[in-house]
Order: sequence, then structure tokens, then C-alpha cells
Amino acid sequence: MRIGSYELTLKKRETLAGWQAAVISTLAVVFALLLFSLVFVQAEANPLEAYKEIFDYAFFNPFGLPLTINRFIFLLLCACAFIIPIRAGLWNIGMTGQLYAGALSAFAVLFAFGVKGAKSAEYPGELIIPLMVVASMLGAVVVGTIAGYLKGKYNVNEIVVTMMLNFIMFWLVSFMIKDGGPFMNPGGRGESFELAKSLYAPLYKDVPFTVVLALGFALLLYWVFAKTKLGYQIRAYGQNPTAAEYAGISGVKISVLVFVLGAALAGLAGYHYFAAVPGVYKIARSYNFQGDLAFYGIICGLISQGNPIAAIPVALLFGGLTNGGRFVQGKLKLGFGIDYALLGVLMITLVAFQFFYRYQVVLVNTRKETPDE
Amino acid sequence: MNEFFIRSLDASTIFTIAAIGELIGQRSGVINVGVEGVMLFGATLGFITAQVTGSYLLGFLVGIAIGALLGLLHGFFSVTLGGDQVVSGMGIWIMGFGLTTYIGNPYTGPLGMDRIPTFLGVSPFFYVGVALVVITWFVLSKTSLGLQIRSVGENPSVAEVSGVNVSRTRYWCSITGGMLMGFAGAVYALNYNPVWNYNFLMGWGFIALALVFFSMWNPFIMLAGSLLFGTLWQLSLNPQLVLPGLFSRYVWRTVPFAITLIVLFSMSMKWFRTRWGAAKPEALGLPYVKE
Amino acid sequence: MLLDEIKRGDTVLEAQGITKRFPGVVANDKIDFEINAGEVHAILGENGAGKTTLMNILFGLYQPDEGELIVGGKAVKFKSPLDAIDLGIGMVHQHRKLVPAHTVIENIILGHPRAGTILNLKRAEEEITALSRKYGFKIDLRAKVWQISEGEKQLVEILKALYRGAKVLILDEPTSALTPIETEVLMESIKTMSNEDLAIVPFITHKLPIVLAISDRVTVLRRGKVVNRIKTSEATERSLAREMVGREVIFRVERKKVERGQPILEIENLSALSDKGVTAVDKMSFTIHEGEIFGIAGISGNGQRELVEVIAGLRKELEGKVTLDGRDITQASSLERWQAGIGYIPADRIDVGSIGEFSLIENLMMNYYFDEEFSRGGTLDYRKMRELTNEIIEEFSVATPGPETTAKSLSGGNLQKVILGRVLSRKPRLVIADLPSQGLDVGATEFVRNKLMEAKQEKAGVLLISEDLDEILSMSDWVAPVYEGVIMGILPGEAAKREDVGALMAGLELGGGAS
Repeated sequence: MRIGSYELTLKKRETLAGWQAAVISTLAVVFALLLFSLVFVQAEANPLEAYKEIFDYAFFNPFGLPLTINRFIFLLLCACAFIIPIRAGLWNIGMTGQLYAGALSAFAVLFAFGVKGAKSAEYPGELIIPLMVVASMLGAVVVGTIAGYLKGKYNVNEIVVTMMLNFIMFWLVSFMIKDGGPFMNPGGRGESFELAKSLYAPLYKDVPFTVVLALGFALLLYWVFAKTKLGYQIRAYGQNPTAAEYAGISGVKISVLVFVLGAALAGLAGYHYFAAVPGVYKIARSYNFQGDLAFYGIICGLISQGNPIAAIPVALLFGGLTNGGRFVQGKLKLGFGIDYALLGVLMITLVAFQFFYRYQVVLVNTRKETPDE
Repeated sequence: MNEFFIRSLDASTIFTIAAIGELIGQRSGVINVGVEGVMLFGATLGFITAQVTGSYLLGFLVGIAIGALLGLLHGFFSVTLGGDQVVSGMGIWIMGFGLTTYIGNPYTGPLGMDRIPTFLGVSPFFYVGVALVVITWFVLSKTSLGLQIRSVGENPSVAEVSGVNVSRTRYWCSITGGMLMGFAGAVYALNYNPVWNYNFLMGWGFIALALVFFSMWNPFIMLAGSLLFGTLWQLSLNPQLVLPGLFSRYVWRTVPFAITLIVLFSMSMKWFRTRWGAAKPEALGLPYVKE
Repeated sequence: MLLDEIKRGDTVLEAQGITKRFPGVVANDKIDFEINAGEVHAILGENGAGKTTLMNILFGLYQPDEGELIVGGKAVKFKSPLDAIDLGIGMVHQHRKLVPAHTVIENIILGHPRAGTILNLKRAEEEITALSRKYGFKIDLRAKVWQISEGEKQLVEILKALYRGAKVLILDEPTSALTPIETEVLMESIKTMSNEDLAIVPFITHKLPIVLAISDRVTVLRRGKVVNRIKTSEATERSLAREMVGREVIFRVERKKVERGQPILEIENLSALSDKGVTAVDKMSFTIHEGEIFGIAGISGNGQRELVEVIAGLRKELEGKVTLDGRDITQASSLERWQAGIGYIPADRIDVGSIGEFSLIENLMMNYYFDEEFSRGGTLDYRKMRELTNEIIEEFSVATPGPETTAKSLSGGNLQKVILGRVLSRKPRLVIADLPSQGLDVGATEFVRNKLMEAKQEKAGVLLISEDLDEILSMSDWVAPVYEGVIMGILPGEAAKREDVGALMAGLELGGGAS
């Protein structure tokens, strides 16, 4: 493109500084939100008003804010579950299946302790809650390991594998909670039995303790990638697997490891949403919703460029957007699935913006270089 | 029982058409992991168009057109922008999943049109699928165009210096592939299961993707795989036909996915890899940058 | 086609004042030359002299910033290689431009306008057979390209160009991947072709004897400029070398005498498969002692890569035993081998030897992250690593802005110095140097060879893999030519005769007595 003697050209980036990545990511989100205004316009709503409602509800409303924070915890865990493998160049899109496995394992602990229905019964929470947390992580790890092992040992495409596992786990949840499955609610509504009150996750100002775990893991991960031998091995493998093998880094080990770690966090996300978020405390009929929400984790991971600390604000923003989106959907009488539509628009915008992580637009004065023209 | 076979063939048709679309793209070196997204778009928009206009033909055309558009988009991201094809494919899938959930929701429910008549007892699209397999095989292995496509997928720089336009070839393969995926989605929504529901494909696109991987990029093996998975899918819906009373129906629903995993795993073992491994297009998934 | 009516001696291709600039360099600076039909016109120049750029301009891959190309008396502008091909210019690339999975015929007719919508393989086969008979080539047209030898691939590329009607053949490093015997066959073919009024333009880096043997005229490039144009009959190997490099070249690296010590590496009856599942290393046995350079001579693809990978622990052996310092390491992982004292300098610097996006510090870490000294309790000591990086940059005179620079921004020679420094600074017992000077300019080559010689003086054993007979013969204490995975003999380095090694590399047995 030419403007006078100046020309806009594209230049391949040699390096991408942290702040540049942040600017591009922010622009991508802003652009996606602008694009998404079209959905509001098409639904005959004023986009400005709609966004104001979304943000008001999500971040400043006493009812909305705790919901936002709960989603934030969930998304941050899912984002980290995606980030760990992606730093090794592997795609974990199996957070959905892994978090289902986590939820089922947490409920299996309850089942083992004979918790089934009676809401008021007293149980030793200080014993069972930690067990549920650990079980949720271990259950998810079993599912994640399948993908990591098949990828590392046999080079089976991990996208297909994790997706297949998502569907398998989806139907297994149905099996467990519906049609007389072991976890079915005695009331028989096609959902799981509920937690006893004594097993509700401890809250601090309406926020479950999982927030500490999520933030802690994000910070820990950042440190692992920046400073440790393990982080170095994962990054080396992600950048150039052949060179990593040359340096004595085992591809099988790394593949399994990143999926184990990622799945553990996804499992924790499952525990969080089904057993720690106030007002849920069961695997509901519409459990597919939480599974779908996990895909926002992919977007968080991609926008934050694999940086777990950058994922914190991103997860908070998307937690708020999806939460507020549901709210305006009801308030402005929009069609169902605003949050799904936003997911789609964000994702494709992000893909388009990937280009700018690799190229920059520069203005060149062409007069100097080609005197004849 | 006869009904069961017919439904199985109908189901396999959708796998066949979608997978042949993916296969054409992959033969030119472009992998689109967003098959499911393209199919969802084709299915949803095809469904809405048919319901609104009352015309099956328009429904299919819209399904194909949106597929072409998404193929073009994928081509743009992966050929022109030279980006990561997996990222682009994931984007198309999640976009398809998110947007069709929103767009299609008001149309939840049955299509409410007369069924498309069968031909010799089977859906006419079954024959279309088989024909597509034969045509694709013929074009790829017997024609100059096919040689060019295969060369672009194997080694784009060789193709370029031999006078083949790599970008154009990849674009057209991606677009053609998209059209077939969109068409497959439309067949699903207008013929196989004409009831719109949230995310009603439930993994068909991903199984189609897996089918290409274990077809060794051979259209005929792919057809056989489609027939197998069409049958498996029907079986998972109607387990009472074979093993009545065993397992819950939900456990049966996991079977096609589990079998996909098992097949993918066994075909990645050394025995297969040393014999068939060479079939994979060498430049699959790699962006081509002119020297 | 402009070149159809050409007769012997007519000027077919002329370059006038070709200039091409890239950011920071002038790759071609006002280059003039002309090529006549029936002539072999060699273009000689070092890596970085602008040969590749010029070649790509002649073939339409690049467009010149200034200057003109004149083909058959008419000024032309090439937008793509297709334009060049249409005018009768054919190119044979150094890195084979063939699809390995396809047959020879498929490769030859790819993109040919007469291939037809539906492939007419039968007609193509007849025409190509006729063509190859005319020039005396023998090739199985139905074989898959990955099955045929390097020499045959070269002929396939030539056939492909001829089949498309090439009158000017540009050959890039035509002999680089060929055995001495294949080279002779190729030189014969080139003579036959030039007698048929084809103009042939080989671009050559350093194989001066070949220039002298086949060419009629030579144009010498240095730093993007033409420094001489001369009839070959008036040139000598020495004069050409001086013009090409710009100074007297002493290619000799002084072979240092070191007393032979303990055995370090013992290979016994080792076999291994290639990725394709065929035997690539076939019952090899040899021993390397302290203070010894053991040179494996052979054209790439004769099992060297697999051998090196087995020794480095990156490939599973089929049978046999690998012993390092008396310890059986056949089952050891590659990490354990690094720790046991193997230092491996891979042939592929970009895809194996370095991580492009990583800084030099993190690249050096590739061979250090597992050392206690640099990773206490799982955390890496970046400060110490930076010190080491600076030391290596200093000692190996790496030209770089600093240790934070990414590896991908270094030139080939500097990157090789980093890798060399990284491996040698570990003071390994065994150094595996796979094609250590490939693609480097004269200065860097000398540097690399001297460093390997130093390692030997410090009592390391060195396994040197090379295609370059000069390198092997001037450096090695023992020379082992390989052919199709078999060690054809082990000759003492100082006494080994060039012709013998060449013959063994080509799979021939020696006439008598050689051990």
C-alpha cells in the first residue's frame, strides 16, 4: 500500500518482546469485541449499552462479581491445562474430558464415603475435601496420560485423541448420572446426587479456596518455565523436538509429562465447578455447559501466548464476558448462546491476529531506495 | 435389521463425503482440523435455508457455499498468511461450534419437510459419496492435476520450480475440501438427522479427520473405514440389535470414539509405520514460503 | 522458443550489469558474462560470493534490481522459473528438486505442458527413453526416486530439464553428492551434451579439478563481483583458487602427532536400520583411541547418519555393541552418553544442533542443563551459564552482538562455532563431528578443523564424518571409506591414496593387498 512516497510493507519479526505481544493480544480482543457488536446490532440491541451492561454485571454487581470470579478460577485452570502442553508444542483440547474425569473422581470419593443425597448429614470435610481435590486431579491425569503416551510413543495425533476422549468422557458422565447410573440423584432427575453441606468447599467472601490453588499454580508455572530445568526441557522440546532429542531430552517423557500436568489442572477445574462453586454442588443435567466453557481455556492460552501470568487477566476478562453475556442475553431478550457466539468470534479473530505475532507493519520511504521510479 | 444396514450406509455417507474433502486438502499439504466446524456450519445454515425457503436444493447449495467460504478462509490463513494450520483449523472449529450454537438456536427442532426419496432403498447421497471416492482416486492418481496436487503436498518447492503454482493449488484443494465438508454437514442436517439441536454433530467431523489419518491417504481404504464407522455409529445408537441388555446405552455411545482411538493406535505401531508410513504427504501442515 | 535455431558458437545467454541487493549486502554487483552454445562455462566462487543469487536470477526465482538478461539476442524479464523454462533454460539444483515418493517418470513430467489432462505415461516413457538413449543415460524410469542413487537423481534432473526443451543447463554444485566414479560418468555426459550444442553452466564452489577438466571458460566471482573471466586452458588450479579467495590458500591443516592412548570407542559388529526400515549400518566394527581422528569417508546416505545416531543414542541398534572407555553403553540413553563423555556435533546445524528461537545462552544450555554445576535442585543457574556463553563467544570468536542474540540470527559459520564451542567446552572423551565444515567459507572451515585438531591433542578421540576427501585425508589418522553401510577398509591416514579411498567409497574392492 502506498501513501505518497511512503509504502506500508510487512516485515518478519526477528523477536517478539513481551510488551509487543501484550499490545497485539489486547488489540485482538478489542477487535473481536468490535466485531461482536455486529451480533448485538443484528439482535437490535445497542452494542455500547450491551457492553456496559455486561461489564457492570460482571465486575461491579454484588451478584455478578462472585460468579465472574468462579468462572475466572475455572478458566485460569483450563488455560494452564492448555498452556503446559502447548509450550511443548502439543495441543491439549481435552480439558473438557479431563475435567469431567476430575468431577467424576471427586464424586467417586463421596460415593465411597457413602455420601448420597442427605444434604444435612455431617461428614469430616477436612478429610474428604482434600481427598476430592486429589482424586479429581488423579482421575483427570489417567485420561490425559492416554493422550500424552500415544503422542510421545506412537506419534498419534493428540488433537484427535483428546477430542475422542472428550466424547468418551461426555457419555461416561451421562452413564454415571442418568438412567439409574451409580451417581444418579435419588430424586431421579438425570443429574448427580448433591454434596452434603458439610462438604461444601470452604469460602472466603463467597469465593472458594480453589482461587488460591489456581493463582498459585499459575505463578508456579511461570517460575517453572522461566527458571527450572524441567521448564527448559519442555520449552526446548516445543521449539524444536529434534534438537531436544539430540540434547538428551526424551520426547516420550515430555509428552506424557505435559499431559499429566495439564490434565491435573483440568481435573482441578472439574472439582472447582462441580463441587466448589456455591449454588452448584452437583453434576447437573446441563453439564455440557461447563465442558464447553473449557474451550475458552484454549483462547486464554493462545491470547496469553503461553504465559501463565498473562493468562490471569485474560481469564478474568473472559470470565466476566461470558458471565455478563449470559446476563444481557436475558436482560435484553437476545437469542440463546451469546457466550457461544462470542467464543466463536474471539477465536477466529485471534487466529487472524496470529499473523501479527510473526510480522510487523512498517512504513518505508521508498523514494530513497529506487531513484528511477 | 435391514433398516439398520440402510441407516449405517446413510451414516457412512456423511463420513465419506467429509473425509474425502479432508483427504483432498491433505494431499495438497493442507491439514484442516476444523472439519467439525465446517460441517456444523454447513449443517446449520443448510438446515435454516431449507426450512425458510422450503427448498432442499437451496439448503444444499448454501451448505456447500459456506463450506467453500471456510475453505477459502483456511486457505487464506495457512497459505497467504503462512500461519500454523492447526491454529487456523482449531479457530474454524471453535468458531463453527460457537456461532452455529447461537445462529441455529431459534431453529431448534425438526426440519418439517418431506423426506428426500431414497434410491434403490438407500439415500441417494450414498451413491454420491461412492462416486466422489472414485473420482478423487482417479484424479489424484491418473491425471496431471492429481500429480500436481500430490507433488505440492509432498514437496512444494519441487512443484514450484516445475512450474506448478503451489499457492493456487493449495487454495483450490482447501476450498474443494471445504465444499465437501459443508456438503457433508448439509446431508447430515437435511437427510440423515433432520432435527436441529445444539452441537448436534457430536464428533462426526473429528472421526472423519481420524479416518483420513488411518486411510493412508487412500480414498478406497477411507471408504472402507467410513462403512465401518457408519455401522459402528448405528450400533452405538442401537446396541439392542446385537447385545441386548449389556451395558447402558450411554456406554455404547462411547464405542465409536474408543474404536477410533484403538485403530489410530494400532496403525501407528511400527509394523504399519514401516510398511505404510511413506504414504503420508511429506509437506503436510507445513507452510510453503517461496525461496 | 528463441533458442530453437541456435548453432554452435552463438551466444545464447548474456547477462549485462546484473545487480541484486539484499538488506545490508550487495549480493551481485554489475555482473557481466555471456554463454555460447556448445560451451561449458563454469562459474566459480566461494560460499557467499553471490553464486546462488546469480543462479536464481538466471532461473527467474529472483528479479535483478538492475541490469539485463539477454536470451537469444532479446532482452527478457523473468517473473518466475516458468518463464525461464519456457525460453529453454533448465536448472539442476544442488539440493535435489525431486519428489522422493514419486516415480522417475512422474517427476520428469510434473508440470510439463504436454503431460496431458489425463496422464499419458506410455508416451512420456517412450520419449524420455529416446532422450536418455541419445545422451547415454541409463535409468529405470519406473523406479521411485527414493530408491535410486544420488548420481541417478542428478541424471533424472538433467533429463527433466532436457525433456522440457532446455538449451541452457545450469548445474548447481553438480558433483557435490557424487562419488568419484559417478563424477566421471557425469563429466562424460556433460561433454556429450555440449557436443549437442547445449550450453552448460556449472556453478562450483571449490572443486577446482572439475572446473579444469570440463569447462571451456571460467568466470570467477568474489564478494558479488566478477574478478576474472578466462579461458580454462589459460588457468591453473592455483591461480583460480587465489582469485576465488583473494589470497593464497593453504588448505592444509597441520596434522599433529599425538601418541596413541587407550581405546575410547569400540564398535563391534554394529547394524542399524534407516527410517525406511532398510539396513543402513551393516556389521560395522572399528575402534578409536585417545588422540586419534578416525575419518569416515563416503557420500551422504551410505549409513553415516545412522551410525552417528546409534553412537549418540538417538537410534536403536539392530545388533552389535558400543563400548565407551571400556563400559558397554549399547543400552544407554542419549543423556547418559552425554554424561559419559560423548560430544556430538550434528551435521544439521539448524534443525538438530540449535534451537532458532532460543538465545545463545539457552542454546548452550542444550549440552549443560543436566550438569549438577548448572542446575542445582532443578533450577538453572542462568548467571553461570551467561559467563560460560561469554567465554565461548570469546574463545571461538563468534561474531554476535551478545549472548542474548537468538541462534537463528547467526550465520552458518558462527552458528557452527557456537555448537563446536558448546560441545568441545565439555571436554568430551569422544567427539563426533558429522560434516563439520559443510557449507562454511574457507576461514570458518580452517577454524573448525584446527579446533578438532586441538581436541585430538587433548587426548580426545574424534570420529570425523565427511564427504570431502581433502578434509578426510588431511585430518585423519585412520580413513574408513563406507559404501551402503559397510566399512570397505580401514587405511592409515598418512599412507592412504586418494584413488584407493575414492574407489572404496564407490563400493569397489581394491586390486590387491590393501588392508
